[in-house]
Amino acid sequence: MNDVSKRREFLKFGAAGLATAGLAAAASTTSVRQAAAQASSDSLLRTVLDRGSILVGTGSTNAPWHFENEAGELVGMDITMGRILAKALFDDESKVEFVLQDPAQRIPNVTTGKVDVSIQFMTMSSQRAQLINFSRPYYVEGVALLSRPDAEVKTFDQMKAKGAEARISILQNVDAENSVHAVLPEAQVMQIDTQANVLQALESQRVDAAAVDLSTVRWLVARNPDRYFDAGKQWNTMLYGAALRQGDLDWLSFVNTAFTVGMFGHETALYDKAFKDFFGLEAPARVPGFPTI
Amino acid sequence: MIGQILYALPFLWHGFLITLAVSGLVVVISLVVGVALGVGLVYGPLPLRLAVRIFSDTIRGIPILVLIFFVYYGLPAIGLQLDAFAAAVLALTLFKVAQVVEYVRGAIASIPAGQAEAAKAIGLTFAARLRYVIFPQATRRFLPPFVNGVTDAVKGSALVSLLGVTDLMHAINQVIGRTYDALPLYLLGAVIYFLVNYALSSLSRRLERRYAFIRE
Repeated sequence: MNDVSKRREFLKFGAAGLATAGLAAAASTTSVRQAAAQASSDSLLRTVLDRGSILVGTGSTNAPWHFENEAGELVGMDITMGRILAKALFDDESKVEFVLQDPAQRIPNVTTGKVDVSIQFMTMSSQRAQLINFSRPYYVEGVALLSRPDAEVKTFDQMKAKGAEARISILQNVDAENSVHAVLPEAQVMQIDTQANVLQALESQRVDAAAVDLSTVRWLVARNPDRYFDAGKQWNTMLYGAALRQGDLDWLSFVNTAFTVGMFGHETALYDKAFKDFFGLEAPARVPGFPTI
Repeated sequence: MIGQILYALPFLWHGFLITLAVSGLVVVISLVVGVALGVGLVYGPLPLRLAVRIFSDTIRGIPILVLIFFVYYGLPAIGLQLDAFAAAVLALTLFKVAQVVEYVRGAIASIPAGQAEAAKAIGLTFAARLRYVIFPQATRRFLPPFVNGVTDAVKGSALVSLLGVTDLMHAINQVIGRTYDALPLYLLGAVIYFLVNYALSSLSRRLERRYAFIRE
């Protein structure tokens, strides 16, 4: 090979290299552009803004989380969280459409896009988080035991003494069985479909106690002391979060921001009022300075 | 208890209408489609008979709960987006069609072959044989199980609440969710469902009398 041909080879090589580099650059530019376009148009955030209202999947049969009041309006802590989102999106808390769903539909309705978000007293768990994204928690719930004031076995210690004979009703849930067995390892667990039927099981003496949310126990015992008794045991902390579809960080990030601002920021009025109305508690004062959120 | 029942009544009206709408749609559509498919199953060509047989056996073999969720969540995958109400009605209707097909098959099969042969012998066409000979006799065999199926449809319509449709049962659960006082409301529900179904049964007895012109 002489010098000239060497030089030609070299030039060819260089040209090929340039061409390749050019193609690669062109390709990467395109994909970056595509990515940017996708992020904005594919995110539910854009869809919801364009639609002009947000679709929130929730229930209507569990006070104080989501229930119809005397006027037939849907209210509750979950409903308020939906309104906080509507306020954040459209500066109008009424621009929310609540889609009624069974608790069993909370995940499927999100994954199939029937709703933009499920807000339905949903306990955050790692199994569920494999299917959907959870927002930041908006309430920390506990479990407590509700019994009958006229029953022979009405305190937690009496139930514990009853061992395998003790029967506890609880709303059907992933961890329902484990949750009861954490404090009453031998007790029989009855998993029931609605909160009202969990209580009905107690009233019709099918069970010794109903394991329900701590907030519900307080609410019911305060309202009907002649019918309900606080067995005096509370345990577990469960985080309630909203469920969102996976693979949509813009939407997740937006919902988290809206919740955080609604709970800790400059727009806490809706949250505070709901906290007072539904749990009878004043929301803790927010202290400026170090962010404890 | 009466107080709680009276308190709940106004909240149930809309749900009651939904229950009637769901039941009505399911019954009417399944009657039309079911009778057509049922006749196809008895008199149709082999491919049609096979198709109806497979449809009927498959649908009757699937729990209705699974069918409801399948229609609601499965059909969007093939591009058919139905809202909760339509999906629930479709699922309940499919289930009922499969039953009506069997009622029709049973009713026609119970008419002795001699009837059709005699009709042929006097020169009636296929359509005329069905219209004047087979159907009038088969109808009275078809009615009792069908009315039974109608009352089942009314009761089964409560399943639509699984998709978040507020029917009578769901409306009852909404009131219970607020008051946490279940028993009076369940009692009320039982009475309302009973009244609807009792009305239907009475209607069916009159219908049966209307078709009881043949003495055996």
